[in-house]
Amino acid sequence: MEAANAMSFSPLAWIAWALAALAVALTARNPFSQALLLLIVANTWLGPSRRTAFPVRMAVILGLLPVALSLAGSRFGAHPLFSLPSSIPLIGGRWTLEAALFGATAGVALSLTVSILVLVQARVSTADVLALLPRPLYGVGSALALALAFVPQTAATVKGIVEVRGPAGGSRGWRAAPSLLMPVLLTTLERSLQYAESLDARGFAGRRRTRYRPSRWQPVDTIALAAAAVAIAGLALSPPPAYDPYSRLVPELPAFASLASLLALAIPALLETWVSRHAPDHA
Amino acid sequence: MPLITLDRLTFTYPQGKAPALREVTASVEAGEVILVRGASGSGKSTLLRCLNGLVPHHSGGHFAGRVIACGLDTRRHPPRELGAQVGFVFQHPEAQFILEDVESELAFGLENLGLPRPLMRKRIEEVLDQVGINELRARRIGSLSGGERQRVAIAAALAMHPQALALDEPTSQLDPQAAEDVLQVVLRLVLELGMTTLIAEHRVERIAPLADRVWTLHEGAVAQAAPRDALSAGGARPPIVDLALKAGWDPVPISLAQARPMAASLRARLPAAPSNGAVREPGAAIAEISGVTFSYEGRRALAGASLRLGRGELTVLMGRNGAGKSTVLKLLAGILRPQRGRVQVGGQVGYVPQDADTLLFKATVREELTGRQASSGLEPWLDRYPRDLSVGERQRVAIAAAGAGCELLLLDEPTRGLDPGAKRELGLELRRRAGAGTAVLVATHDVEWAAGIADRVALMAEGEVYADGPPGRVLSDSLVFSTQVNKLLGNGWLLVDELPIGPA
Repeated sequence: MEAANAMSFSPLAWIAWALAALAVALTARNPFSQALLLLIVANTWLGPSRRTAFPVRMAVILGLLPVALSLAGSRFGAHPLFSLPSSIPLIGGRWTLEAALFGATAGVALSLTVSILVLVQARVSTADVLALLPRPLYGVGSALALALAFVPQTAATVKGIVEVRGPAGGSRGWRAAPSLLMPVLLTTLERSLQYAESLDARGFAGRRRTRYRPSRWQPVDTIALAAAAVAIAGLALSPPPAYDPYSRLVPELPAFASLASLLALAIPALLETWVSRHAPDHA
Repeated sequence: MPLITLDRLTFTYPQGKAPALREVTASVEAGEVILVRGASGSGKSTLLRCLNGLVPHHSGGHFAGRVIACGLDTRRHPPRELGAQVGFVFQHPEAQFILEDVESELAFGLENLGLPRPLMRKRIEEVLDQVGINELRARRIGSLSGGERQRVAIAAALAMHPQALALDEPTSQLDPQAAEDVLQVVLRLVLELGMTTLIAEHRVERIAPLADRVWTLHEGAVAQAAPRDALSAGGARPPIVDLALKAGWDPVPISLAQARPMAASLRARLPAAPSNGAVREPGAAIAEISGVTFSYEGRRALAGASLRLGRGELTVLMGRNGAGKSTVLKLLAGILRPQRGRVQVGGQVGYVPQDADTLLFKATVREELTGRQASSGLEPWLDRYPRDLSVGERQRVAIAAAGAGCELLLLDEPTRGLDPGAKRELGLELRRRAGAGTAVLVATHDVEWAAGIADRVALMAEGEVYADGPPGRVLSDSLVFSTQVNKLLGNGWLLVDELPIGPA
């Protein structure tokens, strides 16, 4: 059920927030910063205006995949977890804690990136994105609208194909992944073409668009925009210390200014919660 | 002056070996209703897509002749300009939506026209009432049923105040009740607004009485005639026309209302009830579900459903959308596990889902069938790309691929989008398999087709099977799940072929 009385940020504010969060997710590999950002993103998702279920399974798989790859591919590190006979090609030898931690930081970064994109896709509608674009960028708008529709459509396509593969004698689980690639690609391409036809048949990009539900810029949007700016400035001026588990297993604690600027990204979630608790019909 | 003119229109798709449309010359006057019919692949969709410029602007290909729609030459005006003049409703309800909720979707076209906000609001309120979807206005598109989506798609097209509306098989993906709802909307547009409408439809029985003319496509060429003449001549037509021709009624009625006065004398000549021949003994059980309960994320799909399937038996499962038919099939296929109750299957299972395309991804039909027993009738297509085949042909390849060597064949809505000829072929194929000892279970909304092929019909509602027996008993005297012949004659008569009559 949608939260009918939840506060709504302007799409532009959400996009600014997402860009700042993505910048941190893609550049900061310090585990303390990553853990803080993970908490902020989770808290923002759980806010009162969430609309759909979060794809937890996908986020966990994306997070664990680099761990598995790093563990299997790296033989360096002073803290062995276990060893496989070296006669086994590629994966034989010592499997180390350093490799697992290195993979974990990459996995968390990947998970965070996807989570932020999913979060922004749930908060900013396709209509909002199209409305933000000036006329010369309507072509870009079509691509963006397609991109926004891509994730849920692809998930539905994968589900449909996996379902019928079992009874048809196909493999299941991860073993099925390579054989799914072409069917999913074909189906997604066909749907994209239909989508493009629908956009064109309904007059998109014909003339300057007007807006049925124009979004109003409110003071909270300015606060969210400022919070995003603070996070970016903090990242530039006081970046969290890099983390390389192969040279030092225990990560360094980031400077206070670095963590404080990162905390600014929590402001939209805090504002949403505060407004929903103090809304007149919530008393 | 006609609203739409097609002048010697010939069109060939890129890499097409033969033209999809050949020398089509026709016109549509304002306020006319045109029923477009023809077999799958005959050019119906291509013809409608020419009206709003999707052909050739999106399709590419070789386009000769011209189409003038509402004064605009479609060669010079792209779909985004023609879209405001010719509203278009696509075949697949899920393929046409851009935005997330109904009201935004209705506003999308109006925003593209650059209309001021008060005018948009006025048009949206009007169209919500015209199409009768006001209760859906705040719903998310993803939460709508197929019928609701098609009504929203019609409303979205209408909101732009087009001069004509083109509907490409708008009910082919819907159950009978949802199809009826959509056709009621079309009926209202035609009768109350005088909307110029071109509608491609296989279920001609609802549209034919409204149509001013019927365009029948065959291999890209169009033959035009008045509805009665066109339907009497052949092609897709209501069972009531077949009945009239068999009984020698003149004039030939094209609706139940027209046929009722003539039916009284026929009813008097018929035996009290059809002789259904020897009742078929059920084969040994191959699968059984008993007392099965299943929910999807809290939404109850099955509530103690029970069903037994026998070898060599063709069973049809019917019920409105959401009744639990697909869930029964998925449980028997092993895709889902029962949360309560028991599912037992004693043989190899073949499963063909609603969208048969999800089974076909190889480069050729031959590759799709590799390692499987060759199926007769597919030889002409063995070296073709499966997705280039017509809907009916793809369905047959999917059945051959998924159902090879199976003892229990499960098919979910296999007649969606099939023309009458393809449906007949499919019915024969399924009867052949049942005759060879395969248990066949088909979930379908197609009452006429089901009545013609089934040994047994099971009706579902609210996650339970509430009626189960021979078609003559289960489908007789039902308001929704009943054939046209039964609605007219009652007494267990379902099909024209079983009536012991000749011309009066």
